[in-house]
Amino acid sequence: MKTLLDWLDERTGWRKLKEVILDRHIPKGVDWRYTLGSITLFFFLLQVVTGMLLAMHYSPSPDHAYDSVKYLTDQVPMGRFIRGLHKWGATGMVVSVFLHLLRVFFMGAYKYPREVTWLTGVFLFFFVIGFGFTGYLLPWDQKAFWATTVGAHMVEQVPYFGGALAKIMRGGQDLGAVTLARFYAIHVLVFPFLALLFMGVHLFLVVWHGISAPPERDSALGDRRDHDWKAHLNARYLELKAQGKSFWPYIIFKDTVAITVVFLIVMGLAIWKGVELEDLANPTDTTYNPRPEWYFLSVFQLLKYFPGKWEAFGIVILPLIVVTALVALPFYDRGPRRHPADRKLLVGAGWLAILGVVILTIQGARSPLINPMGEKNPMVMEGKRLYVELHCEYCHTLHGQGGTVGPVLDDVGIRRDRAWLANHFRNPKKISPGTKMPNFNLLDGEVEALVAYMSSLGGGAFTAKAPKLFEDNCATCHKFHGVGEDIAVDLSHIAAVRDSSYIAAYTKDPLKLNPDAAMQGYADQLTPEEIQDLANYLYQQGK
Amino acid sequence: MAKSNPHTNEPENPQRRTFLVGAITALGGFISFILGGSGLVYFLSPAWSSKKEDWVEVGPVGNIQGTSPVKMDYVKRKMDGWEVIESPGSVWMVNKGGNWIAYDPHCTHLGCPYRWDESKGLFLCPCHNGVFNKDGVVMSGPPPRPLRQFPVKLENGTLYIIPEEKVS
Repeated sequence: MKTLLDWLDERTGWRKLKEVILDRHIPKGVDWRYTLGSITLFFFLLQVVTGMLLAMHYSPSPDHAYDSVKYLTDQVPMGRFIRGLHKWGATGMVVSVFLHLLRVFFMGAYKYPREVTWLTGVFLFFFVIGFGFTGYLLPWDQKAFWATTVGAHMVEQVPYFGGALAKIMRGGQDLGAVTLARFYAIHVLVFPFLALLFMGVHLFLVVWHGISAPPERDSALGDRRDHDWKAHLNARYLELKAQGKSFWPYIIFKDTVAITVVFLIVMGLAIWKGVELEDLANPTDTTYNPRPEWYFLSVFQLLKYFPGKWEAFGIVILPLIVVTALVALPFYDRGPRRHPADRKLLVGAGWLAILGVVILTIQGARSPLINPMGEKNPMVMEGKRLYVELHCEYCHTLHGQGGTVGPVLDDVGIRRDRAWLANHFRNPKKISPGTKMPNFNLLDGEVEALVAYMSSLGGGAFTAKAPKLFEDNCATCHKFHGVGEDIAVDLSHIAAVRDSSYIAAYTKDPLKLNPDAAMQGYADQLTPEEIQDLANYLYQQGK
Repeated sequence: MAKSNPHTNEPENPQRRTFLVGAITALGGFISFILGGSGLVYFLSPAWSSKKEDWVEVGPVGNIQGTSPVKMDYVKRKMDGWEVIESPGSVWMVNKGGNWIAYDPHCTHLGCPYRWDESKGLFLCPCHNGVFNKDGVVMSGPPPRPLRQFPVKLENGTLYIIPEEKVS
């Protein structure tokens, strides 16, 4: 064994490396706050591992991206867990890199001789934000689509080059296939490569200069006018370093404990909070409430305060000021004094900035949703998609559009029940002899989706019990074709503004759709079938 | 730079050192186990996942005259991972005294597409000269097994098969 290690040492010099990296002494006073960098590095590795696995079941094209994410989440063993780790790991990384930056800021650790360490760190911070922005377009759901649409429009606000920049970002005029492929390539190839490069320099410098000692209020430090302050600083650092312990295992132990804690948190979130996939991206949807990831909420909220021509200030100038302030920090705050009490102005500005971000984030999170949250049945949406994909409109007319070979489908949900529809889709000629409709050899899931869509058309049938349900539950406040009181809205023409699924969702829980609703929810009094029955009745008779 | 003396502050406690190394190994092992385990399950899962195939319509039985094997093409709508695809396929159908036999159209040697030679009355594989007779038995060449058969059924004058599934 020893000969083997000697052989290896002669060829690789690993003993020297071990001495420099693992046995190096860390200054006295390095405590738990110093684990933030290691936590961020751990999150990066976690994202690399889970990201590689996710890429195995992902297709970066608008046709298939959504389905592939759905597949890996629902069908692949451990897929949901791995995606959960990636999603919550991303959140964890944004938090840890931000806290790491704040730690270095408040401790003045970016000062001589660590200016370049700070620079690479700031760029790594920007990469993390970039990872977040490019990453959440990939599932191609509503959130992905609209958040990126907004992002591209923000870029468009840049004076003079805005239009060109937005086109470069999207790979064209519109958000589409090219955008998705571009974002994917940047997310999994460009950023990881650059991040690794910067991380390599960053970590090398951390070892080269040694981890900064906690700041001290030492009157002997003098200030920048003393020509020997650097020598004094270095001597004091060596003193503290001599009093400290070795990196392995003392500091690594702290790092490992901290990493285990954050890993358990991320794992818990992945298991219990899980991951969501919203509806498929739909450029024509006008009922969606675009909201960015929580770490962009402050920017989202900020942009509400800049009207018209001031927009460019909020989108371009302000971020530029922040970026410049961060990048240039070690060049305008110099000298030996690192303790926060000796840097009151800068530390105060830092606290103000944090306060601003926190307040804006809270306001953004609380801002009311302008669009009512309509509940959509995913099977109906899937059916709609199939209707287009299978070109049903070549033969059938729906909402006034389509061919005349087959029957008009506007009220098919009332004319045919689910069993008939299902059998019809499986074998049209068997159910309707002489029909011209071909057998599409549909898969079970496809039949289910088409049946859901078809039976939703016309609002769905209602039973004879529905009028009684209305009298017993709604008539005390609502009027409907002469029945009931005039206390709340007259529902006689409700179908002009709402469809039956909306009416059902509103009856179940009005506050969810309208925070100011005076009406109580009926989820406890009525069964879901009764609520749907009632909604179908109001919709059919409310035309 | 003079190398600093590690013992200026407090003497190293060997027991504490052993404890720390053990703790690092245990915690690191725990994280690697969770990540590595779930990652491996995720990556290796195709090995034990199985998909139930369904009957596919290959065509009306009236298309087959005589007792010579006939190649029938079909299109199967199926899930391919996350995509629904219309995948074309074919099968060699043989009428053996009223019993229908469906042969997988791939040679059992290395999967080349063989064809029926009417004059010789044999299936010939173009790759390595594998030869099968009408019963699927290897007559000459390298194929290690007789031709593979698919389950087949006849319903209302239409033939159905289950491709990719072996007849036991």
